[in-house]
Amino acid sequence: MGMRIHIGATPPVFHGEATYVDSEIATPRNVSLSIDESRQPESLLITEDGAERAAWPLTEIRRLRDQAGPEGIVLKQLGLENLARLYISDPETTRLLLARCAAPLRKERPIKRGKILLWSLAAMASVALILFVLIPSLADQMAERLPPQGERALGETTFEQIRSALSEDPVLPLAVCETAAGVAALNAMAERITLGVELDHPLQFHVLDDPMVNAFALPGGIIVFFRGMLEATDSPDELASVMAHEIGHVVSHDPTRHALRSAGSIGILGLLLGDFAGGAVVLLLTEKLIAANYSQTAELEADAFGLRRLEAAQIDPEAMALMFTRLQQSEGGDPEGKGEDEADTVGYLRYFLSHPLTQDRISIVRQEALPAGETTPSLTQDQWQALKSICD
Amino acid sequence: MAATDLDTEFVGRRKALFGLALRTTLLTIVTLGIYRFWMKTRLRRWYWSAVRPGGLPLEYAGDPLEKLLGFLIAVVVMAFYIGIVNLLLMFVSFSLLNSAAAAYIISFLGVLPIVFFARYRARRYIVARTRWRGIRFGVEKGAWGYAWRCIAHWCVTILSLGLLLPRQTFYLEKYRADRTRYGSAAFEQGGTWRGMYGAMTHQLIGVLSTAVFALVGFTGAAPEALYGLGVSLPWVLYGWVSYKVETFRYLSNHKALGVIGFDANPRTGRVLWIYLRGWFVIALVVAVLGGAVMIFALLAIDPSALSEEVTASGPSWLYFLIAAPLYFALFTFYGVLTQIMLTLPLTAHYAQTLTILNGDKIGEVAQRDRDEFAEAEGFADALDVGAAF
Repeated sequence: MGMRIHIGATPPVFHGEATYVDSEIATPRNVSLSIDESRQPESLLITEDGAERAAWPLTEIRRLRDQAGPEGIVLKQLGLENLARLYISDPETTRLLLARCAAPLRKERPIKRGKILLWSLAAMASVALILFVLIPSLADQMAERLPPQGERALGETTFEQIRSALSEDPVLPLAVCETAAGVAALNAMAERITLGVELDHPLQFHVLDDPMVNAFALPGGIIVFFRGMLEATDSPDELASVMAHEIGHVVSHDPTRHALRSAGSIGILGLLLGDFAGGAVVLLLTEKLIAANYSQTAELEADAFGLRRLEAAQIDPEAMALMFTRLQQSEGGDPEGKGEDEADTVGYLRYFLSHPLTQDRISIVRQEALPAGETTPSLTQDQWQALKSICD
Repeated sequence: MAATDLDTEFVGRRKALFGLALRTTLLTIVTLGIYRFWMKTRLRRWYWSAVRPGGLPLEYAGDPLEKLLGFLIAVVVMAFYIGIVNLLLMFVSFSLLNSAAAAYIISFLGVLPIVFFARYRARRYIVARTRWRGIRFGVEKGAWGYAWRCIAHWCVTILSLGLLLPRQTFYLEKYRADRTRYGSAAFEQGGTWRGMYGAMTHQLIGVLSTAVFALVGFTGAAPEALYGLGVSLPWVLYGWVSYKVETFRYLSNHKALGVIGFDANPRTGRVLWIYLRGWFVIALVVAVLGGAVMIFALLAIDPSALSEEVTASGPSWLYFLIAAPLYFALFTFYGVLTQIMLTLPLTAHYAQTLTILNGDKIGEVAQRDRDEFAEAEGFADALDVGAAF
């Protein structure tokens, strides 16, 4: 601290009363305060009955922070090992003394920054390792080894949860469409696509009565179509391409892997974010981000599987490209099929999508498809009509 | 009251706390939660310094960086436990039992001992960083002993349908108190759990009468009996508060620090009033702000959500812009109001009704060494099971 300049007459000699504890026994002492300017450095003298108890250099005096009560302050000497305290209740004494102290509120650093930094890095590294390496590989291993009954039970539980979640009725779950002829048509289509493929469980199809244009696979060979998907397709081959894609997910146990991964990841993310405001929102977004990255690969692999199945079953693979184009139109609200806007608006959002951009998928399918030889439609006209009217 | 008895003052003012709580909560939100270690430390410093037995304030000497370090250590351990173990449990549960229920149950049971362990460690840290008249408080080790005792006592209490709750309360408090130190002196919990059983009176009346009214009313024997619930349910609430207050009174009065004793005199009526008033105000603010957030968020997503005929005009991002700060305001006010309407008046009441007997003997207590433990209260922070402060 630089030179002090006093203006006016010499200030009166500082004198005050306080309570002092010496940190060795719990006896409070009534002490007198004075400032000894002759000492090097200038110090606050704490005397009891004339005997000097302590001398604190003025530059080392610190005031305790965040104290309640407008009346009274607590002073200490710099140094974590100094537990002695001075309690001053008289405001005038406080004011005069603090004016003489160089930096009463300057902080002390108790813990070495280096240690914190090291542990922070270790924490981030371990969590990253667990979230992005350990859990995914464990989930993959477990997904392969889950016994079929267990997997089917997981799928059925999830299906019921989804039906409840999507239903607008607070009591009844979302309805399932199941005319006998429609179900038979689905099974016929599946048989054709899966000829020669070994499956862990027999496939089970459900059609949910909802206008969403979507389909998904659940653990245990359960494949769910939305009525909207059936209505949006013009030919049975387009639906067959969707079914083949979903069967691809079933065969690689993708849904089971995702379920196991989420079981692990969500717990950890909750741990890190604690209970601060909006934590839940960030938690969900982060989980989605992690899931999205992982599933884009799975989606492309399912596309590839689907394509090969279509070719093996001698179904026109162009149907898959057509299906994606249709999806793209419904996503972009783009009935004329211009499709360019999608790439602009999505931008950084692509990291959150669980599917790769539709445009990319169309390109890949067109690139990979072998020239079609003889092809036959995947369903007869009758079967197709029966399927289209499954929800009536 | 003897001349050597020490009264406790409480000098915390609501307005000062409001400012501190508001500033620290906003900083916590802005830093995505990282500031919470500083927030908790600062609030503790404030509350501790507000309590002044014999006119001299308590001091909280915890450091935020220490707390953060403890949290990081706990995260490394718990991430492994929660991530890997949960995954394995889910797998085993579905493999063997075809359902997720077992996984959730085992996961919960597996975390329980760690929760109790964390609570003891957290209390140990907070007490070890508390000082009065320059002398440190302290707590001896024994977190795992505490954890298994908690589990055992809970089993007994549940098996007795809650009738043996005072036994649990007494013995767990005895375990904690007997290991608590002030400088060179040791606390000791006296009394018996039977002596404390009176604290259960109102709770028993409330619960039993509720059970009787519900049984008679719902089985159709006398449906008017359900009106009785209007009396018995509030009685259950009164009984719950009464239990907390009376057990605090009994346990404090029977504690000894060498020859130093305590006389606690909290009033159930006052505590109940603080709770009711606090919950009412908080519920009111949460309902208003929460409702506003939901309305604006809904309008942002679907402009005609509120009414078929009226469509909200204006772009949807405008509604998000209004909803977002309201959402954070909701959490901010919830936190701040909890402090000023509940924590502050409760602490003040318990502090002001506490008298220390034979206060002149305190002067003989000597200093104790600093308790350096690495993980502070990290596990409690990570598992979110910390103390009220």
